[in-house]
Amino acid sequence: MPIPYYCLSNFVHTARFFMPIKSYLAHPHKGKKVELIRAISNIAQCEVIPAKNRDILIVITDTENKTADDELRERLESIKTLQLLVMISGFDIPKK
Amino acid sequence: MYNSSTDRRNFMKKMAAVSAMTAAIALFPDILFSAEPEKLLSESKGLDWKRSPCRFCGVGCSLLIGIENGRAVAVRGDPKSPVNRGLCCVKGYHSVLSMYAADRLTKPLVKKNGEYVETSMAEALDRIAFKMKQTIETHGKDAVSIYGSGQWTIPDGYVASKLFKGCIGTNNIECNARLCMATAVTGFLTSFGLDEPMGCYEDIDHADVFVLWGNNMAEMHPVLFSRLLDQRLRRGVTIIDFATRTTRTSMAADKSILFKPQTDLAVANAICYEIVKNNWVNEVFVDRYCNFRKGLTQMGYGLEDHYRFTDKAEKIDFEAYKKFLANYTPEKVAKLSGVSAKDIEYMAALYGDPNKRVMSFWCMGMNQHTRGTWIQNLVYNIHLLTGKISAPGNSPFSLTGQPSACGTTREVGTFTHRLPHGVVTDEGDRALAAKIWNVPVENISPQPTYHAVEMFRALDRGDIRFMWIQVTNPMVTMPKLKRYRNGSEKTGRFIVVSDIYPTPTTDVADVILPAAMWIEREGMYGNSERRTQYFQQMVEPPGEAMSDTWQLIEVARRLGFKKQFYYEKETHIEEIYAEYRRHHDNEQHNMAPLHILRSQPGAMWPYVGGKSTKWRYNSKYDPACTNGEAFHFYGKPDGKAIIWQRPYEPPPESPDEAYPYWLCTGRVLEHWHSGSMTRRIPILHRAMPHGYVELNIADAKRLQIQTGDKVKLTSRRGEIILPAAVNQRGLPAPMQVFVPFFDENMLINELTLDAFDPISKQPDYKKCAVSVEKV
Amino acid sequence: MKKRLGIISLFTLLFVVFIAIWDYSYRTGLECAATPEGGDDYVPMVMSSEKGVFRRDRYALDYARMPIDENHQRSLKDYYKNRAFPGAPPSIPHPVSDARSMGGKDCLQCHENGGFVAKWDAYAPVTPHPELLSCRQCHVVQKVRALFRATNFKKIPAPAVGAGANSALRGSPPGIPHRIQMRENCSACHAGPSAPREIRTSHPQRINCMQCHVPNKKLAADIGGF
Repeated sequence: MPIPYYCLSNFVHTARFFMPIKSYLAHPHKGKKVELIRAISNIAQCEVIPAKNRDILIVITDTENKTADDELRERLESIKTLQLLVMISGFDIPKK
Repeated sequence: MYNSSTDRRNFMKKMAAVSAMTAAIALFPDILFSAEPEKLLSESKGLDWKRSPCRFCGVGCSLLIGIENGRAVAVRGDPKSPVNRGLCCVKGYHSVLSMYAADRLTKPLVKKNGEYVETSMAEALDRIAFKMKQTIETHGKDAVSIYGSGQWTIPDGYVASKLFKGCIGTNNIECNARLCMATAVTGFLTSFGLDEPMGCYEDIDHADVFVLWGNNMAEMHPVLFSRLLDQRLRRGVTIIDFATRTTRTSMAADKSILFKPQTDLAVANAICYEIVKNNWVNEVFVDRYCNFRKGLTQMGYGLEDHYRFTDKAEKIDFEAYKKFLANYTPEKVAKLSGVSAKDIEYMAALYGDPNKRVMSFWCMGMNQHTRGTWIQNLVYNIHLLTGKISAPGNSPFSLTGQPSACGTTREVGTFTHRLPHGVVTDEGDRALAAKIWNVPVENISPQPTYHAVEMFRALDRGDIRFMWIQVTNPMVTMPKLKRYRNGSEKTGRFIVVSDIYPTPTTDVADVILPAAMWIEREGMYGNSERRTQYFQQMVEPPGEAMSDTWQLIEVARRLGFKKQFYYEKETHIEEIYAEYRRHHDNEQHNMAPLHILRSQPGAMWPYVGGKSTKWRYNSKYDPACTNGEAFHFYGKPDGKAIIWQRPYEPPPESPDEAYPYWLCTGRVLEHWHSGSMTRRIPILHRAMPHGYVELNIADAKRLQIQTGDKVKLTSRRGEIILPAAVNQRGLPAPMQVFVPFFDENMLINELTLDAFDPISKQPDYKKCAVSVEKV
Repeated sequence: MKKRLGIISLFTLLFVVFIAIWDYSYRTGLECAATPEGGDDYVPMVMSSEKGVFRRDRYALDYARMPIDENHQRSLKDYYKNRAFPGAPPSIPHPVSDARSMGGKDCLQCHENGGFVAKWDAYAPVTPHPELLSCRQCHVVQKVRALFRATNFKKIPAPAVGAGANSALRGSPPGIPHRIQMRENCSACHAGPSAPREIRTSHPQRINCMQCHVPNKKLAADIGGF
């Protein structure tokens, strides 16, 4: 059975062209490594790879567009257990 | 295509990770990375399951919520709960997703020159306190108000009542439960003198017949309805759907009986007529435990500002009542109601059969009714006449729609006329509240001020200048919406809204406070069967979000009430609950202590001698019965319940030539209330993406309307265009339409009428007149 | 005369006994069918934990004999695709003709016993709980793809499967890596042509599954579990 017309959503997508992927090195405040890992891994767009023997973690971000990326960066920087965030690389993937 | 682009993204992510690793190795040559960061976070991979009542409806299912790394990730039904016994509905299973939509409010927003500016929580709270002080100084204390909700936890409602009634000294506290449960309260108070059901959900396991009065239980109380279906498989019970519209409940019921809007009053009286005529009256019960009364009639409908009404009870006897019933023969009522005399006799015979235990269920169909208190009285009459009440399986049962409509608004009493124990008009009740609150008794005003609709009218008129709205979305849910939205946007009004997401209500706010919801804080809810359920804080609230309780405490302290709001941050919920329990420290309403609530899926008040009370007013189960007889309706001075003489009266607005259709509004299974939470849960939005208007097949055919066509509905208040749904989820009777109210882009309440039940002041969202045209 | 008197008294006696029995049964009819039990802990279960394990026994041999239909197998990826998290009730991946009907007359036609459905070119998955009739209380049709607002909810990974993933010793029978609440009938998902290929049992005829496969300890030891 075809899905009736009225089911088609009235929701309109805004045009999005680029989907940035970035990587950072993050330094936690002293003794706050686990808290920082927890805080960052709670953010859906982030992946965390912590170092085993140093207080440093790699953060990879994957966002929908530039605005979302800026917002995410702001959100990361507002984490209280974070001492320093350094961007290492960034990619823009064109979206079809 | 989807896969290849995902693969490409994963590859890019790996590239990004490798370059970051290279950079790190340049800094620390001996560095080692862990491939599985989760291992660092938790030793065990198993989820941590914690218990909480569901965030949504008033059934109060107990959920077990799976927590991993500080996030809620899974839900299952609590098998130990006597409410849901391990089962949930689609909303409950996905409830935790409602916390995680991307547009959560995480910082306070203050409107400056028409723009919202982010501020700190401290600054926003300062501004609220300053505005409250300023408004009280220039316009008096009755110019500030708070509008809360049946989704307030018990501590939220309690501190709101203490601040406004006890400390500030105004009775300007109301809640959306006025739009939802106020009639249930007046129904109970007029018939029994005390609020809330006498029975409990366990009645379902004992009843033989279930009569659903205008209650689409399959969609609105799905878990309880599944218990009905389960009983039918086991014991062969009978389910009667008595309604104005054909729904999933009708499909599942053994019999579906349709009546014309408002005529439930006449049918209930006709059932009583049959019961009396066929000698099915339980003479002993009526003689010992019932009085007969009649009230005022032709009360009006509250459509005009400043409308006031107080009912007056007049004593009558059984003979006078019988004479009154003579007007309601099944034949006469059949003509008015569209229900055949045979069906009326059938229903009466089910109620009258001494070998059958009967449960009546209802919710908004009887509550949102301009004669709502009356229809509840009439259904209680049926149960009282036959003595089928307050015993296992014999139970008139008023269901609720919000998780703590009972627990907070009705038990804490967050209505203008109420106190946690009793009413503001009673000197003794005021004295008790003042003593526990540590305020001078003169602080508590003996005069109730505005009920919800009148409160928004007062805001429109300018009698109220400051309103704080918490946990509710009135700019979607008020009837005759346009007037109240315009009113709230007038200059010189200051609106504070505490919520978790942007809504049409935050659009009219001067200050928006981000709230911590449900399991992001600690609290309790109370469900339909008098069950109080506790939940602990399981996850951190996002950003600066703060619980409604703590927001109120912070503002109260800024207003100078430090002595009354002495609570410690870590233990405030425990302290508030302990203080609240003192108001109900008696055999008729004692609440279970917190350590009991923490150890099990809730407890039912009155909680006496370490036990929940399952059936009130029955001396076998209820220790508060003291008259030495089988039943004791101790809410009334002489221990007797009241059988009310209440006639049929027409609704304020009926279809006519210009507006020939009835409009009924309501909910759907997937969405809860105004949809601000459930629409942000992907599976629920995808299942029910937007509003629609349901039409009868014959009407649609005549108007040449098919499912999906655009249809314009017009009432005397406004107009709206929606897609049609013909013979879909529900099927209205001919010349009736139904529209759900969850969609903030299709505000059906622009059309509804703000007429209300004069006794309960609850608006009727189920009946007004509209015209229908294809566009 | 004496004989007649005897007969009359016999009938009177019978009548009295009849009345007494009738009265007794009428009175018991007025009482509760089940005496309500005291205490807060009394929870008669809607479903009991392991009752359902043997529910689909009689099909076990059929499943064992059935050849595997390679072209219409489900994978675990398909299985988890329409679940918000592992253990969530799946959404309905196909349109449903009647928006109002109840399960018994509708969904269960295909989902009680499964079988090939030409319209969807697939085998209908079998429900582990056919006694719960209000199917769409928990399972809903997805009408659109778009969201109202984006979500940050994180879906946790499903339990690992495959050789050794859930075994205590090398080669020992794997434990059960998920809860069985609502899913206590193993063969509904692990046997027959609709079972995802990664978790389809090679020996459906051995019906007493929990003889060898036991729930993971961690899953069994928390509050409220079975």
